[in-house]
Order: sequence, then C-alpha cells, then structure tokens
Amino acid sequence: MKNLTVVRNIVSALAVLVFLQACGSGSGASVEANPVTVAPSVSNYSGPAPATADVQAFKLNVWDNLVPNNRCGSCHNESQSPRFVRADDINLAYDAINPLVELGDPGQSQIVNKVRGGHNCWLTDDNACGDIIESYIENWAGDSLGGNGKSVQLQAPPIQDPGESKNFPASPAGFASTVYPLLNDYCADCHSDTAAVAQSPFFASSDINVAYEAAQSRIDLETPENSRFVDRLGSEFHNCWTNSCTADAEVMRAAIATFADSITPDQIDPTLVTSKALKLTDGIISSAGGRFESNAIALYEFKTGSGNTVFDTSGVEPSLNLTLSGDYSWVGGWGVAFTDGKAQGSTTASRKLHDLIKATNEYAIEAWVVPGNVTQDGPARIVSYAGSSTTRNFMLGQTLYQYDAYNRSTETNANGEPQLSTDPDEEDLQASLQHVVVNYSPTEGRRIYVNGQYTEDLDTTTAGLLTDWDDTYALAVGSEVDNETRWAGTVRLLAIHNRVLTDEQVLQNFEVGVGERYFLLFNVSEHVDIEDAYIVFEVSQFDSYSYLFDEPFFVILDDTATPGSIPVAGMRIGLNGRELIVGQAFSSLNTTVTDTGYAAEGLQRLSTLGTVIQLDKGPTLDEFFLTFERLGDAENVYVEAAPALPATPPDEPRGPAPGVRDFAEINATMAKLTGIPVSNGTVNNTYELVKQAMPVNSNLGGFVSSQQMGITQLAISYCAALIDDTGARSAYFPGLNFNAAPATAYADRSLLTDPLFDRMVGIGVGTQPAQAALASEIDDLVTTLSNCGASCESDRTERIAKGACAAVLGSATMLVQ
Amino acid sequence: MPFMAWTDQPTRRSASSSAGSSNLFRTALSVLLSVAVITGSNLATADSRDQAKRIHDRITGVPADASLLDDMAAAIDGGNPVAAALLATQQPEFYSVTLRNFAAPWTNRDESVFVALNDYTATIIGMVRDDRDFRGILSEDLVYVGTGAGVPAYSTSSNAHYEALETADLQAVLEPRTQSSVSGLPAEATAGVITSRAAAKSFFIDGTNRAMFRFTLLNHLCRDLEQVHDTSRAPDRIRQDVSRSPGGDARVFLNNCVGCHSGMDPLAQAFAYYDYSYNVDVDPTGENGAITYNDSGTTDPVTGTRVTSKYFNNANNFEHGFQTPDDAWSNYWRAGQNAVIGWDTALPGSGNGAKSMGRELAQSQAFAQCQVEKVFENVCLRPPRDSADRSEVDAIVTSFQNNGHSLRRVFAETAAYCMGD
Repeated sequence: MKNLTVVRNIVSALAVLVFLQACGSGSGASVEANPVTVAPSVSNYSGPAPATADVQAFKLNVWDNLVPNNRCGSCHNESQSPRFVRADDINLAYDAINPLVELGDPGQSQIVNKVRGGHNCWLTDDNACGDIIESYIENWAGDSLGGNGKSVQLQAPPIQDPGESKNFPASPAGFASTVYPLLNDYCADCHSDTAAVAQSPFFASSDINVAYEAAQSRIDLETPENSRFVDRLGSEFHNCWTNSCTADAEVMRAAIATFADSITPDQIDPTLVTSKALKLTDGIISSAGGRFESNAIALYEFKTGSGNTVFDTSGVEPSLNLTLSGDYSWVGGWGVAFTDGKAQGSTTASRKLHDLIKATNEYAIEAWVVPGNVTQDGPARIVSYAGSSTTRNFMLGQTLYQYDAYNRSTETNANGEPQLSTDPDEEDLQASLQHVVVNYSPTEGRRIYVNGQYTEDLDTTTAGLLTDWDDTYALAVGSEVDNETRWAGTVRLLAIHNRVLTDEQVLQNFEVGVGERYFLLFNVSEHVDIEDAYIVFEVSQFDSYSYLFDEPFFVILDDTATPGSIPVAGMRIGLNGRELIVGQAFSSLNTTVTDTGYAAEGLQRLSTLGTVIQLDKGPTLDEFFLTFERLGDAENVYVEAAPALPATPPDEPRGPAPGVRDFAEINATMAKLTGIPVSNGTVNNTYELVKQAMPVNSNLGGFVSSQQMGITQLAISYCAALIDDTGARSAYFPGLNFNAAPATAYADRSLLTDPLFDRMVGIGVGTQPAQAALASEIDDLVTTLSNCGASCESDRTERIAKGACAAVLGSATMLVQ
Repeated sequence: MPFMAWTDQPTRRSASSSAGSSNLFRTALSVLLSVAVITGSNLATADSRDQAKRIHDRITGVPADASLLDDMAAAIDGGNPVAAALLATQQPEFYSVTLRNFAAPWTNRDESVFVALNDYTATIIGMVRDDRDFRGILSEDLVYVGTGAGVPAYSTSSNAHYEALETADLQAVLEPRTQSSVSGLPAEATAGVITSRAAAKSFFIDGTNRAMFRFTLLNHLCRDLEQVHDTSRAPDRIRQDVSRSPGGDARVFLNNCVGCHSGMDPLAQAFAYYDYSYNVDVDPTGENGAITYNDSGTTDPVTGTRVTSKYFNNANNFEHGFQTPDDAWSNYWRAGQNAVIGWDTALPGSGNGAKSMGRELAQSQAFAQCQVEKVFENVCLRPPRDSADRSEVDAIVTSFQNNGHSLRRVFAETAAYCMGD
C-alpha cells in the first residue's frame, strides 16, 4: 500500500488545490423520490456546548442534517444505538458516531456503507442516500482536517493475465466474402483509390488487400454492432443505400458478425511484452472531492444513469429535482445528452433558488457542458430559470461560439436583457467538454468564466438588485421552459450557488474536473524483476464511447524498494486481448526509470500526456493491459508491414482533345492578334470588367453562352482600340482608306479580310477555318453594314472594320486551342 | 458545338463608346457565330504545323507567330517535338499568362485564379524561367522581384510591388533575390514560397498555422488531408486545441480527427515560430500585414518561448494534449499507409523549422509526381486518364528527376506528348 497524497501532488495540481479549501463534496449521486415539501423537524439543540472545534464541525455538517425525523433522528436518538443524533448532549453524539466514520476516506465510512446497503434510505435510491451522507462527512472532514479529508492509497490490484481475443487473419478471404461485397457495392463511388473523387479510407478499393487493410480499424470483431461501419450507417445515416439506415446498418452488422464468427479467438500474441490486465472496477478511485460547494443550493451530478429524474444532491431542502422529457440520453461517465429534450424542475421546488439567491443578491451558475455544435443560437438554452421565452430570472445560453448570460435585475428588462455575451471572435465556446461559470453580484454584475479563466467580457449593464425576481418561475436545462430554443449538447454537472465563486474557486472546480477517475495499476513485476512494480494510469470514462488514459507513472508499492535502471519504450494500451490501433499516444515513448528520477517523489512520471481510446464492451467489462516494445530486459521489436500500393485505376475516356482558352489566355491572345498591348487603358478596363465572365478553365464542355458575351465585349474593345488608332490600323490594314465611304473603302474587300485572316487565323494551319469561307462571311457582313444609304454616319467605315475585326477576333478561331 | 447556344442579345455593358450602334454589332456578332461554326471545318489529321500550333497554344496560351510556327514545325518534323516545345517556353506569355495562372490558385485559400500577382507567384515563375531545381520552392532562401520605372520597392507589408508588375513582361523583369535580404527573415527561417508574404497572408493569418501545411500538401503533393488520413499513427503530438470528444462523441475524434492531426500536427510544428501580423481593427483582411518570425532570443509574451501563442489556442479543449515547446517537426507518415508518398530515405524525417520540413515534402516522390500531374492537366487539358497517360507521366517524372527538376522541361515534354497525332 502506498499513500497517494504525494502522487497526486505530482500528477496534477489537484492535490494542492484540494488542501487550499475546506469543504467540498463532489461525489455522491443522490436519488430522491419526491421533493420534500414539508419542512423537516429540526431539533432545537439546547444541550451542552460542543467541547471542541471538531465536535462543532460535526454538529454543523452532520448532526444538523441527520437529526430531523425524516432522516436518522426518528430512531438513532437517545433511544436506539448507535445514538449519533441524540439531542441531549452533542458531545455524546460525537462519541457515538466516531466509530462509524472514516474522515480520511468518507466513502468508506460504516454509516455510509450501511445506508448504501439498504438501511432505511429516505429516497428511492440507496446509493443516493449514501452519497448525501458521504458529502456531509466530507464537509465535516474538510472543516476539521483543513481539506476534504480524501487521501488515496495505492493498493495492489488482483493479478490476472490478459484474456484471449479475436484478431484479423492475414488473408483477406473471409473479409472478401462477407463484408467487402457490401463495401464494394455501396461505398466504392467514394471510398476507393480509383474513384473519381477518391476519399480516404479506401476500404472499398478494387484491390482487396488495400480494402482489407483500411477496413480493419472500422470493424469490431468482438462486438460487431460497435463497428464503425455499422455506426456510420445506423447512427450517422451516412449514405445509406436504402430508405432505412437501420436496415442497412443491420445488414452491415450481420456481415461483420459472419466474418467475426469465422475467426477463431487468439491467445495473446506470445511475443508481446505485456503487463497484467485490469478492469476499470479494479482501479482505485482517484477523485471524489475537492470541489468548492459550500454555497451550492442546487447540485446535479447526473450519476443516476437511467430513469427520467435528475436528482438535486446539494442537500439543501427542498430538493429541486429535474424531470427529463423529450429526446435525451444518459451518457457514460455521468451526464445527460440533450438532442431535443429538457430537464425541468417544479415551480414549487424552484422557488428555493429565488428565496436563497434573493437573500444574498448574488449567485453563480456553474456547469460542465459539451455543446453539441457551434451552430446553434437563439440563444439555445443551456440553463434557464424562467417563466417563458421572454421572462426570466437568469439564463445561460449559447449563440454559435459564444456563451450568453441573462440576468434580471432592477437595471434590466424582464428577460434579463441586455445580455452579456462572450466575444464571438474569441470563440470561447467550443463543441468540447467545457467548464463554464456565470457569476452575478451587485458589485461586479455578470462575469463569465470558461475553463477556469475569466473571459474578460465586461458587463456594461449597471449591476442592480434582484428584487424583481419572480418566485413562480421554473429551472430548466437544455431548453426554455416553454420547450422553445432547445440546446443540443451534454450536461455533466450543474451547480447553482447563492454566492459568487471567486476566481480561485472557479479554477479549483475546473481543475478538479468532472466524472469519476481511477488509478489503474498495471503490474509489470515479471519484466522488471521487482515485486509490486506498476505502471499506473489515471483512467476515467471520457464520454459514452471512450476512456481517457492520463499521465502514466511508474511506482513500486514498497517504499523501500528502488527501481535501478529500467528502460521503457513503445508502450501501447491493449483492450480485451488486443492492442488498439487508434489512440496509442505512448507508442513513441522512450525513457528510462532511474533511481534518481524515482527518488524525489517516490515515483517516476513517464509522460505528461493523456490519450483517448475507444470504449468497447462497457466500463464494467472492458479489460485493459499494456504492451511494450521494451520494458527492462524484455523486448518485442515492432516491424510495420509495408503498405499496399494503390490499385491502378481503370482507363477512362480522354474526352475531346481541344479546349478553350481561359480568360487570361484570351486577353493575351487578343492583344497579340491585334497588336494592342494588354496594358492599354481602355482595353484593360474592359478586361477587368469582364474577366470573371470568361472561361476560367479550358474544359470545352464547360463553356456556356454567357462566357461568349464576355469574350465578345473584350474583342470589341480590342478592335475599337485598334481601329481608333490611325497608325496601328494603317499598319494592320495596308491600303484600306478608313476615311472613305464604305462603298469606296471596301470596294476591295481583301484589304479588310486578308489582314484579318493572316493575322488572326493563321496561314497553313489545317485546324483553322479556310480563308475563302471566312472571307465569304466577312464579305456578307461588310455588304450588310455598308447598306445604310443616306443615313450612314461619317465613321461608318471604321465601324464596319471594328465589327468585322470583332467577329473574327471573338470567334472560335481565337478561342479554341 | 457549344457556341450554338450563344444568342445575339445586346450586351448591357458598353465596352467602347466608339463601338457603334447595337444593330451594327448584332450583325457583326451574327457573323461571329458563323465564323465560330466554320472553325474547324478543315479539321484533318494534324500535321506538324498543327502540332506546333497546339504545343504553342498549350504552353503559352496564345497563337504563335508564323516564323516561330515554322521553326517549331521543323523541329517536330526533325523528330524532336520537345525542342519545339522548348521554343514555345521562351515566349513571354508562357510566364505572364500560363505560369502566372498556374501558380495563382496556390497562393490563396479559395484557390482562386483571380488574385493579384504576388511574391509566391513571381517566385514560381522565376524559378521555372531559370530552370532552378523546382524542389527549392519549399526551402530556398529565394524570392523573385521585378524591375521597372515606377515600380515601388518590395515591401514586407504591401503587395504593391507586384501589383505594379501585373501587365509587365514577367519573363524580362523578374530577378532573383535572397528572401532574407528583402523580407528581414533570418536566412535559416526562409523556406521558399512557404515564407513568402502571399503565403503568410493566406495561411499564417490567424488560426493555428495548420492551413500552411494543408495547402502546401494540397498544392505541392496533390493530396488533401482526406487522402493521407491514417488513424493508426501515434496521436502524441496532437495539440490541446483538438477536442477529443467533439460534441461529446469521442468516436468522431477516433475515427476522423486523429487520422489527419496525428500526422499533420507534428509536421506543422515546423511553423511554430511564424505568424502573420496585422491590425485587425483598421485592416481586417490583413492587406498591410507582414510575416513575423520569433528569432532566437525573441520570446512570445504569452507562451514565454519562441512558440507563437496561436499554438496554444483553445488549450483547454483537451488539457492532456501536446504542448508545443519548439519548432521540432517529425514526419509520422514515413510509416504506415503514407509511406507510399515516397519519402526521401536520405533525409532523417525530422528536424527543426520550415526549411527542413519543406525539404522533406519537396524531396518526396509525391512532390515530383504532383508537379508533373499538374502540368499534364494544364497542358493536355485533362488529368491522366488511361494507362498510356499514366506511363507518360511516370516517364516525365523520371525525366524531371534526372534533369535537375526543371519544370520548364516538364511543360515541354508534356506538350510534346499532347500535341496530337
């Protein structure tokens, strides 16, 4: 056995903080059947004064809470042993309870275990009563010992070897006949390396070896229904091939089950260097307190895990229990996930918030939440103490990346507006587990804290009094009380305090974390040749689908032993008989445990990192072990197989060889064909105007009529620039008299058509139009345009030249390449 | 013909005040349509002149002069179409049009070609013109600047220098400089276009610097993160800002996020000392911003190290994640399925800073393959579609590697392949 107080000081700042503050409960899932609507009879103690400060602490924290008739006072008074709530002499009651409590570990107190075992619990859940009494004792211990009284002692766990498991066979034959046909039929359009838009992973590759390799991490041989392939269809509705994703998921599950059934379970690979195996329940609870909750008047830890009631375990009467409705689900590791649901308390019980907060004129809303996304707004109601969507006492909400705090005071309207929101650019709200606190006090107004830090968003609304609060409102979580503006996400803890939390208290509660954590001691004695040598992880259920393995360290339970020199490299986590593929954050580990490194704290930390690994069969069934590439003298060299080469994609039609010039090429081409530089001001202005209307790529099939309009405008601009420049046009069209009337100027059409052909179409290029055909078209154009009689403008000849120029320049002779 | 869809609706924009009456141009446009229709009426089996035309069109984007066409046709007739194509690469439009638009999409997040000329694009153009080892685009201490009357000097806080060169003959005016001499970055902190002002403005601005890695991967290894997704790599270098349980569901992380971040984060650590500094209040898009680099001795006021604070954004999303101490990068993708990228075994696969990381990327087989495939699509107007195309690409990749990694030659060889029969 090894006292872990030292360990906790090393492993995190938690231990330090634990001893900074007295009080705190933090554990204790309580279940209460019905709100207590009748005030319990509290003894009006008139006996001898408490003899010591510890007796006084006992009276305040335990005796006062248990003495009512609806707790223990009806029996364990002066008449029935043990008389720990006797009212005649508090000092005698103190003597009576001492054998029943374990201040160093309140959860192990006899009185707690007695109630947990079913002894006259006043609620429907024996564990809930046990939790509440445990919290009373923790508070007593905190007052008396200057901390929460919790110390963790490492004890040797049961020694067991890792069990057998199913593993993927080397040959893909079984996969090819069961799962692969489904993947190939329904997923190959994307998840194949030969798909038009190839999307990794390539589990539907035409190469079975590539597909098999990619599919393995998405198949759970032990529990096929947990396979990613099944979940992707059944839960995430990802490209189901029929109208029923459920049916498709079942087809996939059945195929995987058939594949799995064909595999004979393997014993652990004998070449692996493994630790002994553990389940989560073999661990030692590492967290059960340290939170500051002295002024919590409503507390929800979501530990029940089933049913439709969330119990208020604050111990402050009446209990403000919340009733769940709509779409919600309990999540592993304590919490409730809301998708389209709500948890709401009665207006009667909610009144205690009104009464107790108005008495202090300040409060704090504290929650551990996991916003489901960063797209919801309204604000989406996380916690609301309201009468309707527009009338409330307070509210914590979400608008995209920001938290919103509403508070009704003498300086706001009945909806608590103007609200205080975190800076949207800071994106304080993330779709991740977050600790959020909203403080309100008449001196500082609202202050929002996220993950232990003040967000520095100033409340510009003058802080007022809470005298206008309405005592007929109800507390709701995940939704407005009228079922509007619901919030998607998970709440893992919610506490309402009737005092603000100081900056230190906020940080303390953040660093304590949420959920229950265990120290798992993986025995490695056989490899390091030291008795009771362990590699220890702090493990918790991270969410419904994963575990967190955090900050491993090496320790020997015998305080007198020293490690010597032990190399540790390539550590991996095994689950249910196999090494996990995903999440092996310690596979790069390469360190040595030494006497020097070990001596300072009586342990040696191996890494400051944590990693998340998948949950498989559940927290009570999953069996973990560790493997090593090197541990002490034991070695197992990992050689990663060479990856399969991508399959050769099938041949596809090449499509037409010609394409069109893009916008820039058109511009440059027109410049070259007309001799007008792209820097010409008029032309450049037109180009800037129309360039995005012209083709962006060369795909012939993507050409549309609107692009021709852009091309035409640019062609006209270039030709206008050419014809308007007397020097340039004379050089371009030698012999053509632009000052003459059309009939004269174009008497010899070749003066116009030949230069256009020679310079814009090209001579001797078979893929371009024949000169005669083009000349004929231009001839027709000139004839038509020349036929203006007496109404001809003075510059008609120039205009005709511009038109003929643009007709050739803007045509496919220029465009197609 | 697609042109048949064109109609002679009068345009709403007047391109020139002297353009004449709408009736006149309607008539002209009708003729234009006719000309369009008759185009190609003489199509026949391409002779060397047609082949020369296509080579020139594809390489320069513009028609060839008659005399050049003669020279190119002669080279083709002489059995050396690559020489013909190399003649085309000497035309200014190859640089001002083809290469400019070839590189422009790499310089911005929208992958838009409608962006101003900038130092990234200019450096690509210059390196191709000068037949420099193209792998140097991701590591060299190099930038190309322009010359000319009225052109403002290169500035670390403005793109005006390059905007003044928009219509210049880039083949003629671009000159190489060491990036360190014009940008103020230490020579060892330069990494070719990665540390260009344009890239910094697009990919170091705000965020976490992962964008620089992603877009470099996309533009120069022709792979987006989806294509390198590998969940089996160790996630020990994934930073704290990546939620391990997005929306409360760790499966999203374990099946998706980890696949990219496990490899990307240890590589993007190379950019830990870089940022793009700008005044968000008066210049919200960063037009006047500049790349910054925490040189030795410079300490970020937030992190207390040379690492910029953006590497600790949202650090509480997963406090057990990796905390970046320096700019040491590692390539986890050398093992696993991404070994097929073809990493250079002569390199160590790890190092410090953007320069060595850029070299790691550029000396991979995928880099060479990517450059050739991009050129192939640009010149042949299609990606490689059949075994003949793929064989040719492989051959050009080999030639690229054996000829000093000259991208100009890649253009020439590809154009010769696609010149038509």
